[in-house]
Order: sequence, then structure tokens, then C-alpha cells
Amino acid sequence: MSRVHRVLASIAFCLMASGAAAQPPHLDQLRLIAPAAPGGGWDQTARVMQQVLQRTGLVRTAPVENIPGAAGTIGLARFVGSEQGRDDAVLVSGLIMLGGIVMHRSPVTLHEVTPIARITGEYEAIVVPATSPFRTLADMIRALKERPEALSWGGGSAGGSDQILAGLVAEAVGVPPGRINYVAFSGGGESLSAILGGQVSLGINGLAELEPQIQAGTVRALAVSSADRLPGLDVPTLREQGVNLEFENWRSVVAPPGIGARERQRLESVIAAMVVTPEWRDALARYRWIDRYLPGEKFAQFVDGEETRVRTTLRQLDTGQGSGGTLASVGAYPTFVLSGLAICAIAALVVGRSGRGVAAARRPQANVSESNPASRTPSPENVSDPNPASRTPSPEIATVWWIGLGLVANLAMAETVGFVPASTAMFWLTARAFDDRHPIRDAVFAVVMAIVAYLLFGRLLQLPLPAGPLEGLL
Amino acid sequence: MFDTLRDLSAGFAGAFALHNLGWALVGTTLGTAIGVLPGIGPALTVAVLLPVTFNLDPISAFIMFGGIYSGAMYGGSTTSILLNTPGETGSIATAIDGYMMARQGRGAAALTTAAIGSFVAGTLATIALTFFAPALASAALRFGPAEYFALTVVAFTTVSLLLGPSRVKGLFSLFLGLSVGLVGIDQLTGDARFSFGIPQLLDGIDVVILVIGLFAVGETLYQAWQYGRSEPEAVVLHDFTGMSRDEWRRSWGPWLRGAAIGFPLGVLPCGGTVIPTFVSYATEKRLSKEPERFGHGAIEGVAGPEAANNAAAAGVLVPLLTLGLPSSATAAVMLAAFQQYGLQPGPLLFTSRPDLVWTLIASLYIGNVMLLVLNLPLVGVWARVMLMPRRLLFAGILVLASLGAYSLNGSLLDLAILYLVGVVGCAMRIYDVPLVPAVLGLVLGPLSELQFRRAMAISEGDITIFVTRPISLILLLTAALVLFGSRLVTRKLAST
Repeated sequence: MSRVHRVLASIAFCLMASGAAAQPPHLDQLRLIAPAAPGGGWDQTARVMQQVLQRTGLVRTAPVENIPGAAGTIGLARFVGSEQGRDDAVLVSGLIMLGGIVMHRSPVTLHEVTPIARITGEYEAIVVPATSPFRTLADMIRALKERPEALSWGGGSAGGSDQILAGLVAEAVGVPPGRINYVAFSGGGESLSAILGGQVSLGINGLAELEPQIQAGTVRALAVSSADRLPGLDVPTLREQGVNLEFENWRSVVAPPGIGARERQRLESVIAAMVVTPEWRDALARYRWIDRYLPGEKFAQFVDGEETRVRTTLRQLDTGQGSGGTLASVGAYPTFVLSGLAICAIAALVVGRSGRGVAAARRPQANVSESNPASRTPSPENVSDPNPASRTPSPEIATVWWIGLGLVANLAMAETVGFVPASTAMFWLTARAFDDRHPIRDAVFAVVMAIVAYLLFGRLLQLPLPAGPLEGLL
Repeated sequence: MFDTLRDLSAGFAGAFALHNLGWALVGTTLGTAIGVLPGIGPALTVAVLLPVTFNLDPISAFIMFGGIYSGAMYGGSTTSILLNTPGETGSIATAIDGYMMARQGRGAAALTTAAIGSFVAGTLATIALTFFAPALASAALRFGPAEYFALTVVAFTTVSLLLGPSRVKGLFSLFLGLSVGLVGIDQLTGDARFSFGIPQLLDGIDVVILVIGLFAVGETLYQAWQYGRSEPEAVVLHDFTGMSRDEWRRSWGPWLRGAAIGFPLGVLPCGGTVIPTFVSYATEKRLSKEPERFGHGAIEGVAGPEAANNAAAAGVLVPLLTLGLPSSATAAVMLAAFQQYGLQPGPLLFTSRPDLVWTLIASLYIGNVMLLVLNLPLVGVWARVMLMPRRLLFAGILVLASLGAYSLNGSLLDLAILYLVGVVGCAMRIYDVPLVPAVLGLVLGPLSELQFRRAMAISEGDITIFVTRPISLILLLTAALVLFGSRLVTRKLAST
């Protein structure tokens, strides 16, 4: 019984994230924003920080928010736009974001945020499938110099750390980076499976992801990007094989723009305290991250240097469009799709005008998304009528307008007055559209539904819902 | 074989402790609860619930995990069937006939066949995972970009059956989906396409937003347009008792075929449950003696896809556990959970920590049983949602759909896109353009293009790569057979 009790207690403990703090918390709340989908490196970093900060009592609650997209630049733009001057949020960022800023010509850069600290780094490795003819990096470089396009490099997303390193390696051995045949895969799993299956000539990826495969002998590592050999891993560095280069995929934490010196100091001290805790040390070992703690101004200078390096490399890479030939070129597919759409639209119009009788005759086999013809009162001809002008003006159009008003109200209110009022308004207007005989009862339903939904999804499950003054009272 | 059974029973021994069963219950309940919300797929569910497992010992945590995973996969079917709002991409196919069944008062039967189908297919797939995982995983590695492209060709030809009665309108809808799929970063070069300078569009339009917009918001607007304030429904007799004998008979085949289609496609590191569910749906329609019932509440159209998506979910674990390959977002989150306990998923996981791996597999069996036990008694309760007054039902659907779309990225733009797509969906209904091809175009188009160009890059522009690789050739021949085979069949039918 006591065991069950303990179990229940710990669930409540975790769900409320209340952290029985051993020491008074430094911060009451710190929102950790991961500019990536769950499962990626930034998300993992944010979730480990959440765990460590809450467990050690440095922060009472540290909810993680995911704002995925475009190598973190979407998250960055939102962070700069909506968190201006707030000292209770930090953004997880890093090298890949620098790449994204350059690739996607992001109007917002890392210069606009307040630097807090670089925290971790991850080395990269160059590997070949176990069956590859390349035994050493020198074999690979020889082949690369002979005909660069013949070697396909499988790695992560375009403009990410893997492609940057591929470009740096090519440049270091005297091959134009633009001639590298880099095949971008989304996510570690996809590129890893292409490497394991021998679909690409070589793979370039984070060491943490590749290390289990290297240990198991399913891939052969040609080089790691660290300065010195790593303990417990019998793989030579790039530098000792004559490629004068070291590289790591670093991750960092930044604060919103426009915060005061005291707030910045406080955030820096929380991170400084976090990186020395045993919990953080454990996490570093588990995820094979390297401790790369570098605070404040030094970190800002480091970012400037990295930005120049990334920008130069990506510019060189950009010169080539791969070697896929015309069929694989960028424009062919969109042209095909858009012309197909135009042709089908015209054809549908022609068929619709000339073949109205045909369409009506086909009614019994109506399309899959249609509602059940049997339960429908209006005549079927009216439904399949392709020409709205011939339809007698329907009195029901008012119903649609009421719902439209509800949708607009929700859009306008969600981020200004918050989730509960916005949803209440939309619910009430929609209900009123269909039936206006119970306005008061519907208002009660609307408020209850909005509040329950907010508490369940916004509070208990901590999904990002827009909160206004009213939600603060709940 | 014998070793496997011994290891598995050791896994069960760990899992069967009373408190661990309690965790399995908590996991399945929480997983189902979040999985129900449109837009919140299994990946986010697992990520959100990950902190809950922080303070548990690894065995209990893994058991809870198995429960969350199965629950989240299952949760989406409820909203698909009752509200025409698929919770995640794997249950889009379910919505087509499931919602029609609910409208006709057979919601309980649809939910029952979904629950039992999930259980049957989930269990069969877990058995396959238990005994054949390593062999399957190395077979899946033979799939490169050329094979994936050929697979998308097969998918395109198979689902062309779903174009609806008017080819022209079906194709228009398909190309509409393909065009929407153009928006976003070109993954091979990193260049933005059709994003009109709006940063949120760089990652493309999420298929979940498109689906919720077309299905849920579109249906709400269409109902308003079509019927306005008058109650359109003839009085429907609702039946909350589950499946009739005839429905049992119709469901068996689709469950088994769904498992057979879903599991192997889930094992492929290509990811996604959309292809298996639609291939299953199209297969059932093709095999049916009365294909015209599809789209009007055919129980086979619910049983097959629901079985396929649960089987695919178990399939995803094959490359994860045997090779350490996260082939879906959910698998990537699971990987993070492994690392939380100091495990390094990879080819050596089975030998380094067999206890945990077998406990996880055992917990999948338990999770499947738990889901069935939890959900079957509730089927009648859920199905009563259909008795709600129409005004409250549609108002509730709009709130849930908006909540799901917003929480996907926390972005107002997604909400605006959702409503815009809803208006398009309403217009498509009015003009009798089928919705499903648009969804398939959005899902399959970008995948097909990407794999084609990847294959061409690897082969240095040599297009023969698609016919010189045996698996790719076989797949393309299958596609040709599907395409021309169906022509022959229709011609024969027309002549008789």
C-alpha cells in the first residue's frame, strides 16, 4: 500500500513539476524554448536542462516549448519578436542556427539576442559502410580529388553542421566545395540508414549518433573532428591525417533582447550554477556531449568568429547544384505540378459546364468525403451544381457568416486577450449560428468548455496556449 | 527461438509486478487522452510525458512508455470517427468511413472495430517484432532513395482508386495537394520555395493542419452552408452496443491484411503511417465486392487502416531497437528516453541491456491488452457524443481543432491557414471535388520528389538507377500491374 502511495505521490510530484527543493530556488520560472521538433538535439538539450534545473532547485518550474522549423530560424524570429525584454525565457541555439540564418537569409540573427553562454559541443565523424573500399581517410581523399562528384556524402539537413564540415574538409584538401555531391537527409535516422545500407559512399554525422555503430563495427570511422584522439575511441583525428581542421557542433543558450544588466547577470549565474551540478555532469556523459561552457562576452566573441566561418563555407557550397542533371534540378518538379494543376482546373471547368447531366447521373457513387446521400434533404442536383450563380440565394448563408465571425474573433482575440475568452467567443458564435434559441445556456457551455480545455491542455500538459490576464487567475 | 521465448518471459516477469501494471494503466490512459487531441501526435505526447517518468526506475518507466506509445497511436481514431477530425496523420483514412458510420448511428461499431483491430494488429506486429526484428531490419536497409521513390509510385497508383467518380476532379484535387506540398524549404538545397517571404512557411504546411482544416472546419462550414439552422438529419437510430455478427465477419480480413501491410511499411526507415493506412484502405476497397459502399460507412474502411497504423507503430520499433535508427519523430523521442537511462541504442543494445529491451517489448503486449480493456467499455459512452445538439457539437469541434492547430507550433499563422483551408474544404464539398486526393498529394508529393532527386544525385544523373536495382524494378513493375491490371478488370466488367 505504501508503495502505491509513494508511486501516486511521485506522479503528482512530476505532473505539477513542483520540485521539492532542497534549497531556495533562484528563479520561480524559466521557460526553455527549443527551436526544433521533439527528439532533435536542441529539444534534448532543453529537456535535459529542464530536468537538471528543476531537480537541483535552481528553477522551480522550467517548461519546455517547441517552436520547430527552418534550422531554428523560425524559433529565433518568434523569440526576438515576442519575448523582447522578458527575463523568464531562454532560447536553445547553436551552430546549426548560424547555418540556418545564412541559408534562409533570416532577417533576424544571433546579434539581436542577449548571449548567455555556450554550454555543450558534439564532435562529428566521417564514416564509410563496412563494405566500402576506403580503409583510411587518405583512400577517400585520393578518390575525392580524382572525381569529387563520384562520392556521395550522406548527412543531415542542407546547411547544417554536417554539410558545413563536408565543405570545410573539401576546402582543406584542395577540392572546390561546390563540387561535393552532398545528399541531405532529414533527421539522424534517415541518413544513418542510408550509410548502413551502403546507399551513399560515405556518411558524415554527429559522433554521438555514430559511436554505437562504430563500436559495433557496422560502419568504419575514417576520422573524427576533435583536436586530439578521444579516450575509448580508436579513431584518428582529421588533423593527424593531414587535414588541418577541427570542428564541433556547439549548442548555447541565449536570452531575449532588451533585458537589463541585472537580469542578464541572474540568468548567467543560473546557467553557471547548472553546469557544475553532478546532475548536469551525468547528463553530459549519457548524451556524449562535451562540456563547452563559455559565458557572456567571450561567448559573444566566439559566435562572431563562427559566423564568419559558416558564412564563407556555405557561400562556397552554394556554387554547385549537385550533379543530378536536368531532371533532378530544382525547377522541373514545381513546373510539372503547377502546370498539372492548371490543366486539371481548366478540364474540370470544361467538364463541369458541358457534363452537368453526367455529374448528376453519377450521384449514387458520390465521392468519399461526401455525407450520406440518404440522410440529406435537399435534392442531389442542387449539391452537385457546379455553377454558384444559378443557385438561388440561400438564406443559410447567414449561418456561414456567423461561423466566419467566430473564426475571425478567435484569430483576433487569441493572442491579445488569451485562449479562454477567444475560445468562448468562437464557441458561442458557432453555436448561435446553428441555433439561436439558447444564448445564455450556450454562453455557460462556452465558458466551461474553454476553461476545462485550458486547464487540461495548457496547464496539466503544458502545451503552448496563448495566455491573457484571465488565464493568470486560473 | 527458444532463447527469445526465455528472454520474453523474463521481460514479462518484470512487467507483471502489480505496480508496473499500474504504470501501464497510467501510460495508456494519459497516452490516449493526449492522442485524442487533434494535432498532438504520438511524438509530442511522448515528449510531454517524458518528465513524468524521470523519477521512476527504468523498468517501470519503460512499461509506462509502452503504454503511452500504444495509447497515443490509438487515441487519434476516436476523434476521427466521431468528429471527422483525425488526431494525427495515421488516422486520416479512418475518418473517411468512420465518420460516415457515426453519422448513421454506427459509431459504436466503428470504435469497436478500431479498438479490436488495433489490438489484433498491434499484437501480431509485436509478435513479428519479437521473433524477426534483426532479419527485418537488415532487409529494410536495402531500401535506398531509388526504392523509396518506386514505393511512392506504387502508393500513387494504388490510391488512384481513391480519386472518386470524376477523374478530372480527383486529379484536380491531387494536384492541389501536390501544389501545397511545394511550399517550404527544398530539403536538398536548402532554398526556400513558394514561401512568399513568410518565415513560418519555410517548413511547409503541416499535413495535420491541412487535414483538420479540410475535414473538421470544412465540414462545419459545409453543414452551415447546406442546412443552416434546420436540422438536416432524418432521425437516426443510434446503436451503442458494438459490432453486429455481420460486422465481425467483415472486419476480420481487414484487420489481418492491415497488419500485414502496416508492419513491413513501418519497418522501413522511411517513416510515417500515412502510406500504410491508405494502401490498406485502397486494398480493402479493391477487394470488396461492393466498392461503392466505401465512403458511405463501410466498416472495412475503418478496420483496415486502424489495424495498419498500429502495426506500423510497432514496425517503427524494429530499426530503433535493432539498429539504433530513429525512423520517426516518435522514435527519436523514444531514443532520448533510452539515453535518459544511460542506454546507448544501437546494434549492441540487445546484448548490453537485454532486460530493458525485453521489458519494453513485453510492455507493448501489455499495453495492447490494457488499451482494449480500457476502451471497449467506453465505446458506448464515446459514441453518445453523436447525440449532442448539432450546435454544441460543431462549436466544440471548432474549439478543439483550433486548439490542436495552434499548439502544433504555437503560431497564429497556423490558425489562419487552418481556417483558410477550411473555407477551401467547404468549397470543394460544394463543387463535389473529393478531399482525400489532396491529402495524399500533400503527403506523397514532397516525399516522391525528394527521393527521386536524392537517387539522381547518388547516381550522378543516371536515370537507369530505378530499373537496375532489383527492389526498385520489382516495385515499379508492381505499380504498372496495379495501373494496367485495374484497366483490364474494369474493361472486362464493362464488356460483360
